[in-house]
Amino acid sequence: MTESTSTSIMAPSGARRLTLGWDSNWKTSNPEIAFAGDAQSRSRMSLSDHISNYGRIPTGFTYSLVSDSLRVANLTGRGGAKFPFYKKLAAVYQADRKKGCYIVANGAESEPLSIKDSTLLKTNPHLVIDGLVMVAEVLSAKGVYIYVKDKEAHSAVNAAIRERKERGFNEAKISIVDAPATYVAGQETSVIRRIEKGPALPKFSIDRVAVSGVKGQPTLLSNVETFAHLGLILRFGADWYRSGRSGFDSGSRLVTVSGAVGRPGLYEVSSGVSVGEILREAKAQSVRAVLVGGYFGGWLNVRDESELKLTYDDVTLAEKKLSIGAGILGVLSKETCPVVEAASIVDYLTEQSAGQCGPCVYGLPEISTAFARIALSSNVDRGISELKAVIPLVERRGGCQHPDGVIAHVRSTVAAFGDEIKLHKAGKCSVASSSHQSMLLPKKSQGNLAAASGR
Amino acid sequence: MKIVIDPTRCQGHGTCAALLAEYIEMDKWHYPILSRNQLKDSHLEAAKKAVQLCPELAIKIIE
Repeated sequence: MTESTSTSIMAPSGARRLTLGWDSNWKTSNPEIAFAGDAQSRSRMSLSDHISNYGRIPTGFTYSLVSDSLRVANLTGRGGAKFPFYKKLAAVYQADRKKGCYIVANGAESEPLSIKDSTLLKTNPHLVIDGLVMVAEVLSAKGVYIYVKDKEAHSAVNAAIRERKERGFNEAKISIVDAPATYVAGQETSVIRRIEKGPALPKFSIDRVAVSGVKGQPTLLSNVETFAHLGLILRFGADWYRSGRSGFDSGSRLVTVSGAVGRPGLYEVSSGVSVGEILREAKAQSVRAVLVGGYFGGWLNVRDESELKLTYDDVTLAEKKLSIGAGILGVLSKETCPVVEAASIVDYLTEQSAGQCGPCVYGLPEISTAFARIALSSNVDRGISELKAVIPLVERRGGCQHPDGVIAHVRSTVAAFGDEIKLHKAGKCSVASSSHQSMLLPKKSQGNLAAASGR
Repeated sequence: MKIVIDPTRCQGHGTCAALLAEYIEMDKWHYPILSRNQLKDSHLEAAKKAVQLCPELAIKIIE
């Protein structure tokens, strides 16, 4: 890498780290929250703009320097597992790499409510590539892959790679692999199989991906946003990243806000902001409930405004048994019954099973049916006793996280909405309307819960 | 030694449960539940047979 600039570069601050180039609409009333819109109309940042914004791409890192920086920065994986990234890196570094190792940025983003990864790849692919080539150098990786969700992300990454080649960057070669639009395509082992030119379906493995991933070799696999942060941490340092803050969630993060809000889309938020502050920028009103983390996440029952004072970090959210997950906040207003919405999501997830493992194939429809009885106020007691009987037969028996994610959603609903379920027991519902229009499911996947309950 | 079953391959034929009743029971959909997985030496032959006879090659013995 020979790129140099004569001007000195200021490290980006506050909430505009990954969104620095999105110069127009980012303004909000809160300097700790940046708005990036739906990003559909935004164009890709060129390599020259990227370098003039963030500075040249540093090179010549040692493993210990990278590992120390990531540990001090407290960078955690941004795909939902919140695992400390330096530990993941260490697992790959210490594995048997004689036959080479691989690096994979997972941009499958199979959560329909998320747009962060595809937006990052469409608008600033160089940030992700920077992080990838830096670790590729440290690990002497044999192959580097970016797993992308759609055509737009594919062509943006492709154009970025071409630009770097034309500039004569001497760095790891990157291959692009397309993810199919299925929910399970983003599971770690699905990604590995797809890269190996197989179907994007989960695979059973005794070893972790860090030890045995692509072609059976050690593989560093993380979410695309993780690599974007990494590229900045190694430029500006761990202390910059923490900006004087402590705890697991230092730095900024990308959040997709959807549902009953006036300004849905992608936000970048500094650590320390509250859920309420984010929802205020998204123009949410009369909030009934928030789905935090995504379909495999959990529910926040908003009995009154004070419930939204919760700080948006994993330490605080854990007290409510919630997690940032894939950076999703799905908002329901008082016009939607949260239990009906949850049951619709569970029904969708049931249909999204890979169909490989018996407990998932037979168990999820039973869970969905039982849950629909609760949601439709048809027979709550029966629904609950059926759930109690079937969940132990499904939990931890699948070849991937899918069935356990569904069970987590069911448990969270039951734990959060005791008040609503009590109404349903009496054959009522807090929402008068008999027709439920889902706020948080993809349009084409609006299912029929009544059909699920009779399945 | 441990018994492992790959749930993505298993089609619930039940051969393993028949041979290794002390370790494997069948659920109501006729899929195996491993009640324990640490294999005793005295059951090694039965376990090897289960590995050979599984039509889906879903069961393995690992160190």
